[in-house]
Amino acid sequence: MKKTLTVNLGGSVFHIDEDAYLLLEKYLSNLRIHFEKEDGGEETLGDMEQRISEIFSEKNRAGFNVITIEDVENIIQRMGKVEDLFENDFRTNKKSSREERSQSSHGGERIGRKFFRNPDDKMLGGVCGGLAAFMGWDPTAVRLLTFLLACFGGVVVFIYLVLWLIVPLAQTAAERLQMCGESVTIENIGKTVTDGFERFSHQVNEYVNSDKPRTMLQKFADIIVGILGALLKVAAVFLGIILLPALVGILLAFVCVVIGLIFGGVGGIVSFLGWLLPSMDWNIISSVSPFEMSIGGISLIMLFAIPLLTMIYGLLCGIFKYKPLANELKWLLVILWLMAFVCIIYCSVSHGWWRHHWMI
Amino acid sequence: MKKGILEYCILLLLKEETAYASDLIQKLQEAKLIVVEGTLYPLLTRLKNSNLLEYCWKESTLGSSRKYYKLTEKGEAFLGELNNSWLELCETIEHIKKQN
Repeated sequence: MKKTLTVNLGGSVFHIDEDAYLLLEKYLSNLRIHFEKEDGGEETLGDMEQRISEIFSEKNRAGFNVITIEDVENIIQRMGKVEDLFENDFRTNKKSSREERSQSSHGGERIGRKFFRNPDDKMLGGVCGGLAAFMGWDPTAVRLLTFLLACFGGVVVFIYLVLWLIVPLAQTAAERLQMCGESVTIENIGKTVTDGFERFSHQVNEYVNSDKPRTMLQKFADIIVGILGALLKVAAVFLGIILLPALVGILLAFVCVVIGLIFGGVGGIVSFLGWLLPSMDWNIISSVSPFEMSIGGISLIMLFAIPLLTMIYGLLCGIFKYKPLANELKWLLVILWLMAFVCIIYCSVSHGWWRHHWMI
Repeated sequence: MKKGILEYCILLLLKEETAYASDLIQKLQEAKLIVVEGTLYPLLTRLKNSNLLEYCWKESTLGSSRKYYKLTEKGEAFLGELNNSWLELCETIEHIKKQN
């Protein structure tokens, strides 16, 4: 005996076994994730659903009223597995993971893994689970360590929240495999889909909406993070609009400083700044070596330019539907920005600049 | 390369008569060109979006309406070009084969 569901597929109504439904849903959502990247993907997907619906209709006409798991497996066989249809995608993925592998080969066991949040092993956001899968550690140990660190310093909490917001959730079978460092091959994909599916069918009662029932705390945390994310986005947009002209101005000013430094030496800079902002005593700069000055200048520019450009790009993404920045690039920018930040702090502290202007 | 040939074949099949996706699949499978149906749909959408194909809805005997694809004028012109380049390609290959 099996529970059945009623679904609307391509405009026709079908009765479908619950396990068959879960498999079909997984197949279609995997297709959707891949088609979303292409032009007219929605339409293609619609056509395919239409076709599946037609094949089911033919079967119903033959006198079978319920779609079983075998039917869905046949359909997948007939329409093609996701990895067959998107051969190129998978090939490039494989290539990049191989590149990563060769890069990190000296790092021992980590083979081409990517950091995702783990949806299958999560207490709050899946960050610890993902980190554990990424590093090949025990998730409970990671959680315990995180908790202990969080008790001692609030920074960990902040880092956790930031990671929760930035790190993507492993949604497709391919991403889950990358998270665990297994190579994305047809067999592995099949395994993941079937694995997930077996687990579904074993615990059908617990997986009502094909998602784990979540505790109150988890739901609450989900909502909080959702709100936080939305607020951050809104804030970023507003900041972008308000600060855009100001930031552009600052950016130009610093470009001028650097150019002035290159061509006019330190003396030129001092007189230029003195002309720009006469209220401050800029002679202190004369004591700074040109090398440090240029490092400081470049750092300052990066400090403002990186968030600014990211914001502009983000705005453009929202308006023109550009592709969002690649994750690697995001991390690179974050690291660059932090480096610039450290440089600035170092430069200003080492010359008592702050004390000179604001403490006295 | 296979993708290009597949597009060429679709255009060839549609030159003679308008066809429904399943007919195309059947013919392509007979020719052992594609194995799974899913490969065809993205191609049809792409060809349609580049204005080489158009479709109209027709009621089928089964009750559901189906998309029947046919060539546009641009599509026919494009098919002519493809025919030429195919012939050239064949000649080249034959030529090279003879040299061996």
